[in-house]
Amino acid sequence: MTPIVKVSNLDKYFGRLHVLRNISVDIQPREVVCLIGRSGSGKSTLLRCINFLEEPSHGTIEVDGVKVEGGEKGKEHRQLIHDVRLKTGMVFQEFNLFPHMSVLGNVIEGPVTVKGMDRNKAIAIAEENLDSVGLLFKKDEYPNRLSGGQKQRVAIARALSMEPKVMLFDEPTSALDPELIGEVLNVMKKVAKEGMTMLVVTHEMGFAREVADRVLVLAEGELIEDSKPDDLFRSPKDPRTKALIDRYRTGER
Amino acid sequence: MSQIQKSQAELLYDAQQRKVRQFRTNVIITWVSLLGFLVFVFSGPIKIDTQFIQRNYLFIATGVVDTFKISFLSITLAILLALLAALGRLSNLPPIYAISTFYVSLIRGTPLYLQIFFFFLALPQLGIILPGLIAGVIALGLNYGAYMSETFRAGLASVGKGQREAAIALGMTSGQTMRRIILPQALRFAIPPMGNDFISMTKDSALVSATGFVHEIMWRATRVGRAEQNNLEALIVAAVFYWMMTLILTFFQSRVETRLARGDR
Repeated sequence: MTPIVKVSNLDKYFGRLHVLRNISVDIQPREVVCLIGRSGSGKSTLLRCINFLEEPSHGTIEVDGVKVEGGEKGKEHRQLIHDVRLKTGMVFQEFNLFPHMSVLGNVIEGPVTVKGMDRNKAIAIAEENLDSVGLLFKKDEYPNRLSGGQKQRVAIARALSMEPKVMLFDEPTSALDPELIGEVLNVMKKVAKEGMTMLVVTHEMGFAREVADRVLVLAEGELIEDSKPDDLFRSPKDPRTKALIDRYRTGER
Repeated sequence: MSQIQKSQAELLYDAQQRKVRQFRTNVIITWVSLLGFLVFVFSGPIKIDTQFIQRNYLFIATGVVDTFKISFLSITLAILLALLAALGRLSNLPPIYAISTFYVSLIRGTPLYLQIFFFFLALPQLGIILPGLIAGVIALGLNYGAYMSETFRAGLASVGKGQREAAIALGMTSGQTMRRIILPQALRFAIPPMGNDFISMTKDSALVSATGFVHEIMWRATRVGRAEQNNLEALIVAAVFYWMMTLILTFFQSRVETRLARGDR
């Protein structure tokens, strides 16, 4: 099978700090991959390199046949990055809904402004996605009237409405009150079940274990583990993975 | 009595409300007294020529139109310049950044009064003769634009970087991100200070009268005041009109502000 996301020999420096070291990962269509690691391990940076919110220093990113070399410049490069962004949807830890637009406005913004989609068609797609995250009844509200969990569900609907090939989640539940985490994870499970390819940076081990097809572990910018969740949780190969899992088991983060 | 006993919190709240009301009443009483005192001073101890006022207040009042016109046109120009200067300040192209900071520095480093005379009196020497209103609008617009660029810059800075990232992740170009996401939020932040600037502009527009080409309130007041040796009366009338304009504009500004505060941030 051809992977839908192919990260090859990725390096990322922030100044002299080497945050990602020669990372190579393939993600197959419809696969759900969780990315775990201590804070500062580079997991968010890796995710953000895939849609070029961070420009990789070296290496290539390939998403659904669009191949981009990191560290290049110029018009062609920017066009390729744009193509990659159209194929990826992103959900942020801090939601980042647009506060000056209604819920519906947030969800149709991408299709209408970026794709030039007919407004009515965009609304139809948006309403379908809002319905699927259970928030169609909030479509005329503004984001400041929503709870954190609702905001994140709208953010998921917003990303889905661009009809991406891959969804990237950057710690989607880390900014939420504990009682609101469940509703967001449930929506993510639903999206996974509908066959979306997902890459999820998370601290939610339960979610990783239950939903992920594969779990990647990063430590100090290196990929130290790439296994099925059952194998990983039962018999971690690397002692650092074991330490990480143990910390979550004891509830310490 | 069937009245329900009030809780301690409610009693405290009531006491607080009473204090607030009392304070407000006292403020209003003092205001009215001060106003009454002014009226008294100018009707008894200081003799003013009421007939002069009756003859000339309409002539001075007509200046409100030009004062408003010049202020409105100037603020429009100022907003445009301020926006360009603020965006230029964010640019990573050295010439653009330099033009923006140069403009702000030059304008803020020289008196408004000088700038107004520059456009009326200095430019004609170079063969550039602008109509009075246009020259006034350019001078005031350039001046306020430089100051307002700081307001806009703060507005742009108030929009978090997550907003830009969300827009970029959707595939927006930097132009679309600016137009659709950043600017609308920055402008909302900048509207209340812009209201203040508009109000001070209506008063600074009086400086334009010094050139003698724009027949706004101040020009009219000094003209009739000098002609009939009634400067005191003329300036009092002008002051009343400026003050009334300011009060009306402040009223509208506070309405806009409450709406924004209620809004959808």
